[in-house]
Amino acid sequence: MIEITGLTKTFTGQDGAPVHALGGVDLTVRENEFLTVLGPSGCGKTTMLKMIAGLQTWDAGEITVAGRPVRGPGPDRSMVFQNFALLPWATVLDNVAFGLKLKGVGKAERNERARGLIAKVGLAGFESKRPGELSGGMQQRVGIARALAVEPEVLLMDEPFGAVDEQTRRLLQEELLSIWEANRLTVVFITHSMEEAVLLGDRVVLLSARPGRIAEIVDVPLDRPRSSDIGGLERSREYVEITAHLWERLRDMHEEHRLERAAG
Amino acid sequence: MATRTDRPQWQRLLDSDRSYQALTFVLFAAAWQVYGTYWGGLLVPTFTETAAAFVRLLGTAEFWDALWVSNQALALGFACSVAIGVPVGVLLGRFRLLERLTDVYLNILLVTPMAAIIPLLIMSVGFGLLSRVILVTLFAVVMVIVNVRSGVRQVDPGLIQMAKSFGATERAVWRDVLIPGALPAIMTGVRLGLGRAVTGMVIVELLMVSLALGGLILQFRATFDAAGLYAVIAAVLIESLVLIALAQWLEHRIAPWARSTQKRKARR
Repeated sequence: MIEITGLTKTFTGQDGAPVHALGGVDLTVRENEFLTVLGPSGCGKTTMLKMIAGLQTWDAGEITVAGRPVRGPGPDRSMVFQNFALLPWATVLDNVAFGLKLKGVGKAERNERARGLIAKVGLAGFESKRPGELSGGMQQRVGIARALAVEPEVLLMDEPFGAVDEQTRRLLQEELLSIWEANRLTVVFITHSMEEAVLLGDRVVLLSARPGRIAEIVDVPLDRPRSSDIGGLERSREYVEITAHLWERLRDMHEEHRLERAAG
Repeated sequence: MATRTDRPQWQRLLDSDRSYQALTFVLFAAAWQVYGTYWGGLLVPTFTETAAAFVRLLGTAEFWDALWVSNQALALGFACSVAIGVPVGVLLGRFRLLERLTDVYLNILLVTPMAAIIPLLIMSVGFGLLSRVILVTLFAVVMVIVNVRSGVRQVDPGLIQMAKSFGATERAVWRDVLIPGALPAIMTGVRLGLGRAVTGMVIVELLMVSLALGGLILQFRATFDAAGLYAVIAAVLIESLVLIALAQWLEHRIAPWARSTQKRKARR
């Protein structure tokens, strides 16, 4: 579904020194797969996601989505943002319908579709509220509904639950799983939480720190559907083993990074 | 906050901003009255004398004529300020190069005592309505530009990126993100510009062409009619208060979300 080959990116840092964000990433995201991407902070996870979204340029390499090379944003992909990125002046309904409006869908039709998705993410009755009147969790539900409204083939999620509290995060994870179990979109989900990566993903991609490279891809053999019993999964042997393994790798990366910084 | 709604209505009414404003006004008027009575002499009339003069003033055709003439310059000049200031501010806020090129001049305009320009204006355009309109515009337009510019700059770049991720063209970014995002600041700029426009209106009449309200002030000064002088000043004050309140109401009307985000700021 998504083919990434030899993707590199070097930024110029604030002191003028080059920052190697991505150092040659090769990755295949399968159709209908829920792929989670995990890595230490500053490993270029978000940069990579923005490139798939067409919001960020790269130096070398190629990205194709369903065979089409990525040249910019497109209707086949939509994104859910960490800080929600809702229009504060628009109602929940208008926010959810925003992508459809930009696509030129007529008002009656886009409102109808938006209403359906608002109900789907459990916000029925909040259509005329503004984002400022909602909690963080509810705001991200709006963000998810907005992304789903344009009926993308790929859903790109950039640490979508990073800015909400633990309990809300749990609820949102369950709901995202049950939505996904119904429509089986291809999802690329960035996170810094090992637990979240394992709980949601079919595979977990572990990125190394600068320059970002793929350190390992871990299969998650947990049964689906998972939405009904997250608590049970967390007590399963596979879950415990995978998260322990991921933590070992991440801890090594942090250690290496620290030594490098001390040496440099 | 929760306990506040439990109190009886008369207490809540008493605790409103309006009653505090009324209280300070009464204190101010009383202090003025006392000062005017004992130490005022020729220069400071008492509050009641001023109020009486104000009522008398409202009865004269001269005052209403003056108000009409003054407001022509105000209305035209203010309209020009908004018509020029809003688009210029929006452009400066969006394009960094333009901002860099103009920043110095805006700062100069912001701090220049505009009154110093008046002789120049008279020499170039004469004493007519045009020169008064130009001066009011000069007073107000900088305020509008600076506020609108910072409003556009403050629009969250994350929102622009979001819009682009959904395929927004530059035009759609302007229509759906930049303009609505900057609207609260635009309205603030318009309100502050209005205040400056009133200042400009009075100053030009005092310094340049003794006419209309400014002319009335000079006339009362010449006849040592302190109460009349204060009454005209009071009239100007009242007019600007009404205009500002109107602008504020419009601001909340057009951009109600800005008000609800302000409310959440911590206050005691």
